[in-house]
Amino acid sequence: MNFFARIFLALLFTCNVSFAIPEADIPSFMQSNIDLATTILRDKKMPKPQKTEKLFTIFDSIFDYTLMAQLSLGGKQWASLASPKQTEFTKLFEMKLKTSYMEKLDLYTDEKIVIKNLEKIKDTRIHLTTHLMKNSEVYEIIYKFYKDKNGSWMIYDVDILGVSIIQTYRTQFADILTKDSFDSLLEKLKQPDEPTPK
Amino acid sequence: MRFILACLLSLTFLSASDYIGTTTHNNDDFETEFNTNNSENLFDPLSGYNEVMTRVNDNFYEYLLRPTAQGYAYVMPEMARHGVSNFFENLFYPIRLVNNLLQLKFYNSLEETERFVLNSTMGILGFRDVAAEELGIKAHDEDLGQTLGYYGVGNGFHVVLPLFGPSNVRDIAGLAGDMWLNPITYMKGRHDANLLDNSGQAMAATAFYTINKTSLHVKEYDNFKKDAIELYPFLRDVYESRRTKLISE
Repeated sequence: MNFFARIFLALLFTCNVSFAIPEADIPSFMQSNIDLATTILRDKKMPKPQKTEKLFTIFDSIFDYTLMAQLSLGGKQWASLASPKQTEFTKLFEMKLKTSYMEKLDLYTDEKIVIKNLEKIKDTRIHLTTHLMKNSEVYEIIYKFYKDKNGSWMIYDVDILGVSIIQTYRTQFADILTKDSFDSLLEKLKQPDEPTPK
Repeated sequence: MRFILACLLSLTFLSASDYIGTTTHNNDDFETEFNTNNSENLFDPLSGYNEVMTRVNDNFYEYLLRPTAQGYAYVMPEMARHGVSNFFENLFYPIRLVNNLLQLKFYNSLEETERFVLNSTMGILGFRDVAAEELGIKAHDEDLGQTLGYYGVGNGFHVVLPLFGPSNVRDIAGLAGDMWLNPITYMKGRHDANLLDNSGQAMAATAFYTINKTSLHVKEYDNFKKDAIELYPFLRDVYESRRTKLISE
């Protein structure tokens, strides 16, 4: 009995974690996430490691890092890799995204983010346009969602001022791989700071 | 019997597709989303030169521009630097006006003119951006490169210019054209100067503008550069995507 109860609880728990976001709720869901993130960001007393930890728990539930890693590498390249390499790459890529984000935190002052528009590109794609307001300037950030196989909407790319994050990585990785081996790409990902002078 | 078999078969298919799903996403449609400007079909005949020039420019920034800008920032309070920046932006009004007009953006042209009048007078020669601060009229940045893009001129291949940084064939043509609209080009020195022979003063003014502008964005730029794994393809991609976005607006 105890055993079954445990399984039941575990099931319940996983269900909760992979809670599917219905399409109509994306704006409100994202707005509450953004608000939550903003309150964390504005909290001057909270130490930075704790801040990032809290922020990343929010992000982890809506960003599909695995898919992002795959897309940044390109399908062909990804398929040619052995699965341990894929896992290693995904881990490093996720780290890279997170360090890049953490570095941005130092620049944060009192920017506000407001949701402007939700556009359904096709059945499985949604673009959520937000505006980041800094002083009197407005910066457009688009979160790109796709519907995964559990029917929940996950972010696979972020577009900042028209620049797709995944695309920038994609071009860089392609460039590295035309000259170098995949292992050297992994090496470069391991030392995220300072682009290595060639 | 057949029914059961069919059921079984479909189940295996289901689990098979499920299995594939766990290792690689079915992302053909994703591939098309990103492949359009992937490096495989990117025309970059100058890549060798561009890479070298990117490094030269980066060194110039690291060892000359940034230290200068930081030293300048140390002696000039931030408010004054914002003022100087506003002054120059106000000066570039002809570039924005003409290009807004060329793109038939009449309302924007009107707003630009309002800004110029307000900022030049109440804003004391443009040092204060009264129009944006008090009335919320914002600048509409347009340049000839964008105008050309607006009329369907393609980017052309990517070219990294010395000092100017990333550009492409279309935008170089644009830059050359905009020079004729840039008041700094017409600055007169002690001797009678003409457009092609006043390089000294104009260059000094441009240098001052650049140092001032850099001093306001050092932190952002350094942070942005940290995201790069390979500087040249990173900057190229950011530049080209950004320009495409600006043209579409």
